[in-house]
Amino acid sequence: MKVSDMRRNNRRRDNCIGLLVATALVACPLAASAQAELNLPILVPITGFLSLEGTSQRNGALLAIKNAPSSVKITAEVTDTGSSPEGAVTALERSLSRGKVSAVAASMLGTQMLAMLPVALENKVPLATVSGTADITEKNNPYVFRFFPGDAVAKGAHVRYVLEELKKKRVALVYQTTAYGQSGRKHIVELLKKSGIEPVMEEALDVAVKDMSAVIGKVQAARPDVIMLHLHGGPSALFIKQAGAAKVNLPIVAGSGMSQPTTVALMEPAELKGLCAETNAAPVAGGSPQMDKFLAQYRAEFKSEPDGFAVGQYDATSMIIDVVAKGAKTPEDIRKALSGGSFKGLAMTYKSDGKGNMAHSAVIICYDGKTRMPKIVKRYD
Amino acid sequence: MLLQILANALALGAAYALLALGFVLILNATGAVNFAHGDMVMAGGYVAIAMGSVLQLPGALLLPLVVAVMALLGFVFSWFAYFPLKNRPPVSVFISTIALGIIFQNSANAIYGAAPRKGPPLLSEGNFGMGGITIGAQALGIVVVAIVLIVAQHLLLNRSGIGRKLRATAQDREMAEAVGIRVNRMIALTFALGSALAGAAGLMLSNTFFITPTDGTNYVIKAYIAVTIGGWGSLSGAVCGALIIALFEVLFPSLPLLIPPLKIIAPWLFTQTASTILLYVGLLAIMFFRPQGLFGETVQRRV
Repeated sequence: MKVSDMRRNNRRRDNCIGLLVATALVACPLAASAQAELNLPILVPITGFLSLEGTSQRNGALLAIKNAPSSVKITAEVTDTGSSPEGAVTALERSLSRGKVSAVAASMLGTQMLAMLPVALENKVPLATVSGTADITEKNNPYVFRFFPGDAVAKGAHVRYVLEELKKKRVALVYQTTAYGQSGRKHIVELLKKSGIEPVMEEALDVAVKDMSAVIGKVQAARPDVIMLHLHGGPSALFIKQAGAAKVNLPIVAGSGMSQPTTVALMEPAELKGLCAETNAAPVAGGSPQMDKFLAQYRAEFKSEPDGFAVGQYDATSMIIDVVAKGAKTPEDIRKALSGGSFKGLAMTYKSDGKGNMAHSAVIICYDGKTRMPKIVKRYD
Repeated sequence: MLLQILANALALGAAYALLALGFVLILNATGAVNFAHGDMVMAGGYVAIAMGSVLQLPGALLLPLVVAVMALLGFVFSWFAYFPLKNRPPVSVFISTIALGIIFQNSANAIYGAAPRKGPPLLSEGNFGMGGITIGAQALGIVVVAIVLIVAQHLLLNRSGIGRKLRATAQDREMAEAVGIRVNRMIALTFALGSALAGAAGLMLSNTFFITPTDGTNYVIKAYIAVTIGGWGSLSGAVCGALIIALFEVLFPSLPLLIPPLKIIAPWLFTQTASTILLYVGLLAIMFFRPQGLFGETVQRRV
């Protein structure tokens, strides 16, 4: 082979290599964008007194991840936060120490969220939760996003239904001593006050109280025309059951605890007659093809009925996946996208109010006493 | 009104008495606090739910089966939580019972999930009126079953040979061994008896108040307080302590209903929250001023 031929061949080889390198350089970013990455730890209470709600959160997040587009590569490790604030903080710090965290599906327990907020702020990681505790979005922390109606929305619907639809004025209020209970009580009392109404009776119950006959006796003695409950699921069921046994024939409008199918399953349909409750969504009641599909998939996957918390966390996780699929790469990108964008989820359209409150709708469901299936009777947007 | 409140308190106190009795039996036999005792109550509730769903029988008929299963569980429990550590400092047994309790909780969570469950009623869930008060059939059943079990347990310990051996083991293990009593067998039997009582309480409480995997923590605290109030190691004291707790939970916050002026004088004092605080203040006072408990003696008769 002549030297000139060798040089020509070398030039062709170099050109080919150059072409391959150039192709690779162009192709690599394309491949990277085709497989956006999302590291989303799921830190929820799987044990403890909020384990039921935490399990719903976990299931909702996992289902959203299962339905994620293939263009997003998701790492999601579930950690049980228990029911203590330190359990939640430890879980968050452990996740952060293990690698780059994009965002967190965070506990719905208000006290845990309040403890995690400073850590999220320090590490600049968005937390997506379904906690109803009002305070979590009142701390000027730009890294918290609540995909469940906060007390201002949920209790607004709760009070409006009592005053406007039931037209009741003599309210007996029973609430939980937890952060959730106290925060809800504050909103209910303030909203009633705006309408010139003072509760005729109010009392707080610890989650450990099993026999509620004393508080039921006080409710009866105060002669209310409606009972408003702001209790967790199990205590709500206990109250309603014991009030029924004590022949308290008053309308009861409960908090979101009584929208949970597992709580409702503790009671006979007749015991539920006339009972209403506020919630973000009632997935078991269906209502749209998307919700029906979610319901079927949830039942098949987890062999249980979904509740509003599962839907809320499903929507929260879906929105995070959506913003990552659309190009958000860093936690800061995700935070900005959650802060400024809107997302049509299963329960409602989510958009931040500037404080991280994404959900602005609530519904009232009621039971007819014949089945355990609720009906949505009023929607407040 | 007063009778109604007392009836509710009695039903609650009867169930607490069963769990406090089991707790104090094991305490006396081993000298160690069984922190998993509340989880035994929880386990009894889930055993009742499992058996009820398979056999479709009311709780009253399931009770002997639940008691038998829980006695067996208590027996096995002693071989994991107590015997391997019996020659170590008491704190080792405390820790092992806590560990087993957490294992029970998480196992129940894995098998049944976190949602509250309802156990089968003893006979029915209806109510009936009696002398102007409404009593739930379940509440009445709890009182009757608790009385039967407490009397049976009393007869077993005081009128039978095995009871004498159990008492001898609780009073002085070395002396009991010296006179030929198989001490380990007696201790294992005590775990079985205590767990059987906890299981019976679990069956009854799981219908009235539902059951979740984490309920045991709350129940063991009640047992602990009942025993401290009644007298550390005293069986009758444990029953009285349990009834006092129930009175604080039910009667005290109801006092304004019985004495209306209290509602005006100090409404804040008769809330459920305040009554819990007062119960614990009372507990501290007893520990300071009468450390042997309200019904304890300086030298107590154990088991």
